[in-house]
Amino acid sequence: MSALPRIWTWPLVLALLTMIGLLSALLGEGGVWWALSWLALAAPLLVIAVCLLKVGQSS
Amino acid sequence: MSSQALKRWAFVHKWTSLVCTVFLLMLCVTGLPLVFREELADLLSDDPPYAVLPANTPMANLDVMVRTARERYPGQSINFVFVDDDEPQVSVGILPSPTADPGLMHRMKFDARTGEVLKDVAPMGQRSPDFLEVMLHLHRDLFIDLPGELFLGAMGLLFVAATVSGMVLYAPFARKAGFGGVRQQRGRRTRWLDLHNLLGVTTLAWTLVVGATGVMNELAQPLFLLWQRTDVQAMLQPYRGQPAPRVDELSSVQAAFRTVQQALPGMVATSVVFPGSRFGTPYHYLVWTKGASPLTSRLFSPVLVDARTGKLTAVVQMPWYLRALEVSRPLHFGDYGGMPLKVIWALLDLVTIVVLGSGLYLWLSRRRSPIEARLAELQAAE
Repeated sequence: MSALPRIWTWPLVLALLTMIGLLSALLGEGGVWWALSWLALAAPLLVIAVCLLKVGQSS
Repeated sequence: MSSQALKRWAFVHKWTSLVCTVFLLMLCVTGLPLVFREELADLLSDDPPYAVLPANTPMANLDVMVRTARERYPGQSINFVFVDDDEPQVSVGILPSPTADPGLMHRMKFDARTGEVLKDVAPMGQRSPDFLEVMLHLHRDLFIDLPGELFLGAMGLLFVAATVSGMVLYAPFARKAGFGGVRQQRGRRTRWLDLHNLLGVTTLAWTLVVGATGVMNELAQPLFLLWQRTDVQAMLQPYRGQPAPRVDELSSVQAAFRTVQQALPGMVATSVVFPGSRFGTPYHYLVWTKGASPLTSRLFSPVLVDARTGKLTAVVQMPWYLRALEVSRPLHFGDYGGMPLKVIWALLDLVTIVVLGSGLYLWLSRRRSPIEARLAELQAAE
């Protein structure tokens, strides 16, 4: 994969998930919309955790 | 991107970050307890408990509570009545005179069903602020009101600029390590640079939204002033020259509240601003109402009730800039999706603290090898 997609795919996906997460709890009426919001907004935290775990294993 | 352009972005990133980082660290630290302010307020509260009554107990008469407040502070001026839709409480704000400094305000808390006084909170100026008030003041205005709000708003703008320029610089700096890579064998500085990039770019959208909505919140005072000077003045045109009602001429506040509830069945009335208050009009009870859905419960509409006759005068349409302010509140506070959302908000706040701290470290450690030199190195290597 060339450099740009390689470094930008994940950040763009996470930005999109963040926006979905921020809006779903705001516009939706609780219930499933809240759950969607939590999952989508937890994605960046999850990706950070996975990256750091990988780093910890490789060192 | 040309090396000249990249150099310019590096310059922007360095200086906007340097100016705002210390304040942003303070905002992130004070913001952390504020994410949980409802829970902490309950925990830290020493207010007497509410009476245990059946859930459908009707609300006591607001006029009685206002009369109690007037008797306790004779000659003073009722500023507002707040009817909580969350807890069975009614608060009455009392000022020495209608336009006195808000720092002199007494707040009397009533049980909404019994009308009994639960607590009389002394004015801000006459007691030391509690933990959450200290956090809120540091976070919002550094204890200096409007100048502090505008200053922190400017810091927020710099932070947004630092975030955007950081996004532009992410590409050249991340090319080597790839997304998510944290190089271990290249020394401490490289490790922190990679970590700064990883944490910064993954939380980019959240950071931008919370930063921009924070700036918007700091503009609340000027925006409300603008609205009062324009739309509210226009609405008061027919009353021009009339004497404001005296206290003994005021109609029932309970009736005004009821009138608004009946006229707008889909809305929840939350507070009544008394005539003469600097946040109201000289001639009306200004009743704030809000919607019932998650989004519309953040959108407030003022309703004017003639304070002499008790007749509904107008349901006021809020201008777009105040609507934008209202929408920006939940997006900054993170208080609209239950406890899990608050926890996520706090974790993202902690990540931001690491991004700020690592940025500061990178600057301190690179004064020996500045960002421009490293950029030139990267480009020479290509």
